[in-house]
Amino acid sequence: MNKAILSVLGKDQPGIVAAVTGVLFAQDCNVENVSQTILQTEFAGIFVFSFSDDLSLEILENELTAKLQPLDLSVHVKLLHHQKRPSTFPESEPFVITTKGPDRKGLVAGITEVMARHGVNITNLQAVFKGGDEPGNNIMIYEVDVPVDLDQKILENELRQRAKELLLEISIQHRNIFEAINRI
Amino acid sequence: MLTDREILSTLEMLKSENLDVRTVTLGINLLDCASHDAEKLKYKIHTRIAHFAEKLVFVCEQIGQKYGIPVVNKRIAVSPIAVVGAAMSSSQLVDVAKTLDAVAEEVNVDFIGGFSALVEKGIARGDRALIEAIPHALTATNRVCASVNVASTRAGINMDAVLFMGKAIKQAAELTSDKDGLACAKLCVFANIPQDIPFMAGAYLGIGEADAVINVGVSGPGVVKKAIDRARQSDSKLDLGQISELIKKTAYKVTRVGELIGREVAERLKIRFGVVDLSLAPTPHVGDSVGEIFQSLGLVSIGVPGTTAALALLNDAVKKGGAFASSRVGGLSGAFIPVSEDLNISKSAREGFIGLDKLEAITSVCSVGLDMVAIPGDTSEDTIAAIIADEMAIGVINHKTTATRLIPVPGKKAGEEAFFGGLLGQATIIPVNNAKGANHFIRHGGLIPAPIHSLMN
Repeated sequence: MNKAILSVLGKDQPGIVAAVTGVLFAQDCNVENVSQTILQTEFAGIFVFSFSDDLSLEILENELTAKLQPLDLSVHVKLLHHQKRPSTFPESEPFVITTKGPDRKGLVAGITEVMARHGVNITNLQAVFKGGDEPGNNIMIYEVDVPVDLDQKILENELRQRAKELLLEISIQHRNIFEAINRI
Repeated sequence: MLTDREILSTLEMLKSENLDVRTVTLGINLLDCASHDAEKLKYKIHTRIAHFAEKLVFVCEQIGQKYGIPVVNKRIAVSPIAVVGAAMSSSQLVDVAKTLDAVAEEVNVDFIGGFSALVEKGIARGDRALIEAIPHALTATNRVCASVNVASTRAGINMDAVLFMGKAIKQAAELTSDKDGLACAKLCVFANIPQDIPFMAGAYLGIGEADAVINVGVSGPGVVKKAIDRARQSDSKLDLGQISELIKKTAYKVTRVGELIGREVAERLKIRFGVVDLSLAPTPHVGDSVGEIFQSLGLVSIGVPGTTAALALLNDAVKKGGAFASSRVGGLSGAFIPVSEDLNISKSAREGFIGLDKLEAITSVCSVGLDMVAIPGDTSEDTIAAIIADEMAIGVINHKTTATRLIPVPGKKAGEEAFFGGLLGQATIIPVNNAKGANHFIRHGGLIPAPIHSLMN
């Protein structure tokens, strides 16, 4: 069995997932993972699926496009190579980094530049900018994996320094605390 | 994946509602340090404590930083010194207290508890020496805390010990008269003292405990108050059953924090984890007060009629939430009402909403007792002993822990202010009514027998 990943992007409306999975089912594909989200009015979804050797991905993509284009949705399909998570990902600990502060351009770029330089991998990012100077209206939540061999003190100092430059209030906490408090 | 609501509500608790871990207390067993030679005893105590506590502060700070939750106090509790130093004289025990103080400073903990004796049924030689040493020991040291258990549901009330403590408290106050009787703020008299309290001044390591153990005291009155305020704002028709449920949920969250941090500190220090004490412990800061919770519940002030019922609800809900959050609950676990350490309670005392009588009444439903209560300096030792006896009776009969931390402030009268500084705060001196004349009842001495329900077997 081969695996592929497809992404769907476009205006949110009822029936998108049904349309995508309908085509996949008709082509005897098996959906393994799905993640979807909605930002403002836009839908984004990614599907990992397995398919048999005699299916051409090109044909599949054409079929999906034919079905989704009228709905104002774009689709992209890509073959997944057989590999587990690359060994270049070092052992890591999950942290949650939260920033609050007045809205301006370059906030995400500024913070993530520091993370990228230290090999910190973002596993989930939620950013809500309602605009204006009210800090509570402009929040970024990064769930990240911090390599265990990284000097966390240095990372933290650099993040705090960058946040200060961007006029952001920053919190850096191990993920366990959120789970301990909120989940049974 | 965490939801943004989970993350933001947690941050709110930490940033603006004063959620913290109030204390990580390292219990250290000193029983095998006992010696007839005072120098050897002090050397062994010093070495033992320094060995176990060397990294305590460093590890607590590291873990606190990892989770973004401050561990406010790092403390040590040791085996009762009356047992460890049973062979010592009273003046030698004062020197032992100085050793404890020195090693506490060395490892940078703010308090060390365990200058203690357990005398609920009788006073042994070492106990007598220790109680006699308490006033001088607490005057000569900064970080040492003392506690004496004078009563238990199983043994009754040792009235000789009660009177003895009245005398010790009076003497401790006189010796520190230049600091408003500060020594008394480090001295608790208990009924049914638990073996694993992490909070001061009552912390000591029980005889039945291991070589070393980490106990954690969580807090969070600010978190509970804000939760009630928020809920009442969004639904003004909340009934008390629903409020109790809300407090339970909040206590659950607070306790989970303590458990997580305590376990990790214990693991890093390679010391076993003991208990989480899920108490609502105030500090003299705005927004970190148990007293304010009463106002959020709709009372004008702590002390007015309705206070006892409100505290009963609060204390019970805290316990239920906490017990669900941790299977290792111990210590005092409930709400503290230390008058001087809580801005709001202190204010209520100043404005006359709460007096000694109401304080005593509400100790029947809270976790401790007459805590950090400043009384006039001319209160006699008989009267102090009598107040202790009343408080002990509440504990013994109701099968609960009660305690007193009374400070007869030398040279000051009711209505004046006493200043203790730092976490100990300041308080208006509360009048003691009906305190004139000798108290023959107290002077009878002997043992008030254990109540009938002590016969449980």
